[in-house]
Amino acid sequence: MRVFFSAYRSCVAAAFATAAAYRINFLLSLFITLCFNLGFPLVTLLIYNAGASFPGWSLFEVLLLQAIFTLSSGLASIMFSGVLWATMQHVREGSFEVVLLKPTGPLMFLMATNFSPDDLGLVVGGAGLFAAALVFVDVSLGAWPMFLLLFAAGFAVMAGLNIFMAATSFKWVGNSRIPEIFDSVMAFGKYPMGIFPQAVRGAATFVIPVGIIAYYPANALLGQVDASMAWVILPCGLFLAASVWTYRRMVRLYEGVGG
Amino acid sequence: MMNVITVENLRKTYTTYKRGSGFGETVKSLFKREKVEVNAVDDISLAVKQGTICGLLGPNGAGKSTTIKMLCGTLFPTSGKIESMGFRPYEDRKKYVRGIGAVFGQRSQLVWDIPPVDSFNMNRAIYGIPREEYRKTLKHLSELFEVEEIINTPTRVLSLGERMKCEFIMAMLHKPKIVFLDEPTIGLDIIAKAKIREFIRSINATGTTFILTTHDLEDVAQLAEYVIIINHGKKVFDDSLQKLQHYVGEKKIVALSLAKPYGFDVPAAVGARLIEQKSPVELVLEVDTAKTPINDFMELLSRKVSFLDISVKALPMEEIIASIYAKPSKE
Repeated sequence: MRVFFSAYRSCVAAAFATAAAYRINFLLSLFITLCFNLGFPLVTLLIYNAGASFPGWSLFEVLLLQAIFTLSSGLASIMFSGVLWATMQHVREGSFEVVLLKPTGPLMFLMATNFSPDDLGLVVGGAGLFAAALVFVDVSLGAWPMFLLLFAAGFAVMAGLNIFMAATSFKWVGNSRIPEIFDSVMAFGKYPMGIFPQAVRGAATFVIPVGIIAYYPANALLGQVDASMAWVILPCGLFLAASVWTYRRMVRLYEGVGG
Repeated sequence: MMNVITVENLRKTYTTYKRGSGFGETVKSLFKREKVEVNAVDDISLAVKQGTICGLLGPNGAGKSTTIKMLCGTLFPTSGKIESMGFRPYEDRKKYVRGIGAVFGQRSQLVWDIPPVDSFNMNRAIYGIPREEYRKTLKHLSELFEVEEIINTPTRVLSLGERMKCEFIMAMLHKPKIVFLDEPTIGLDIIAKAKIREFIRSINATGTTFILTTHDLEDVAQLAEYVIIINHGKKVFDDSLQKLQHYVGEKKIVALSLAKPYGFDVPAAVGARLIEQKSPVELVLEVDTAKTPINDFMELLSRKVSFLDISVKALPMEEIIASIYAKPSKE
């Protein structure tokens, strides 16, 4: 485990060094990501300013939910989005051998070497929005442990989605549109679950648990979730485990390109 | 000398799709594609002895890269058995790759935007090399390659030769017992090639086994002790370099500069044939010394013509290899 963390730290340092090699690009990426992601809660603001609303949710409660989603998405992007693009590129170009030659799991290696500091903008934006929303909603101190537990579960779903997408690259080489499909699925997590039909709510909790990314953690902060709801972390854990298992199985399909 | 790698009846079959050219065929292929099974590696058995340099040759698409990838544990065989250093490479990949190194001439392991030393440090952490040991090994390898000055420069600004030297260092830091080299001198100038060959020889002298895949036959001639040739996925030659040089017979190339223009029949009966005539007084003959020893041939020749200069060489490796490649594979 010590070697694992040492390797991870070293690879992340290399990723930061790579990002720093192109400073302007790095700073621009940070800024653009920040601006782009602040546009999404603005739509919520427009909805509420137009007199419409999500039933049972005030404006700042929805913003809190969306801030949690952005924060989770940002953290997942920093740590896992590189796995998706790197896997796609390695499989298409036939250079995955370079990954398999390392005495580590390919997932760990790609996760560490493709740590994406550019996505820090998303985390900063999400954290800012989260802090702003907290000013306008009542959150008790006792709500935080449950929130953190559910946030971690939601983060596991984000990670699982990225790993599942990456795993598809071994079968459908060059599937650059797959992330868009997953983005559409993930969009269900950006809104209060109550606005969706029962079937969608069920699928977003048990099948692809995107509802747990932000809806349940936000509810925990708002005091609408009790300790008995901790069971929802189970499908999240299973989802992440399934994604890792799938990725490992799919690596066996790798065939390289002609030499 | 014991075998470090043993391969038995190795096969790798790919499923690919056949598609015609043109717009109509492209549209058709969206709905229906014809599956084609390709036997990239077809029942290959081989053994590599510890501490040797083995050349793995073959024309493009012969299956040598697929074989190397399976030996490295990065590709699963369809069937057959590989045992390398006591491991099944594709089953015990993580443990196995700790003991091997690989340099792919066309696939870089260095991180493009940062100095090689940062990539080396990343490898140190991944392989769990103790810092002091890493420092000593890096110093030794950098001195051997004379790259102490450039390892702190971003990889993207290095020349191909400098990058390749750094690729070798990256592959050797953890002191592998077997090193796989896939086209390690591709695109390099003669000085860089010579340096890399010298490096391979010096590391091999410490007992490291090298498997060398290349199209540069000079690499093979200068480094390999024995050669395995693969063609159409099948092994067509597996023996010493010396045996390879005599594969197409005991032939020599005799280049002559004559005192007077050429005006005699090449004595075919003695196993000689004219292969090139550069001018009326300059010609090149191929002589089968199994039929006529070179001394006898020269004596015969001196009775017919007087020459100003003469050189006798072995048959070029290119011709030997080309003749092996040209042979149809046995089904």
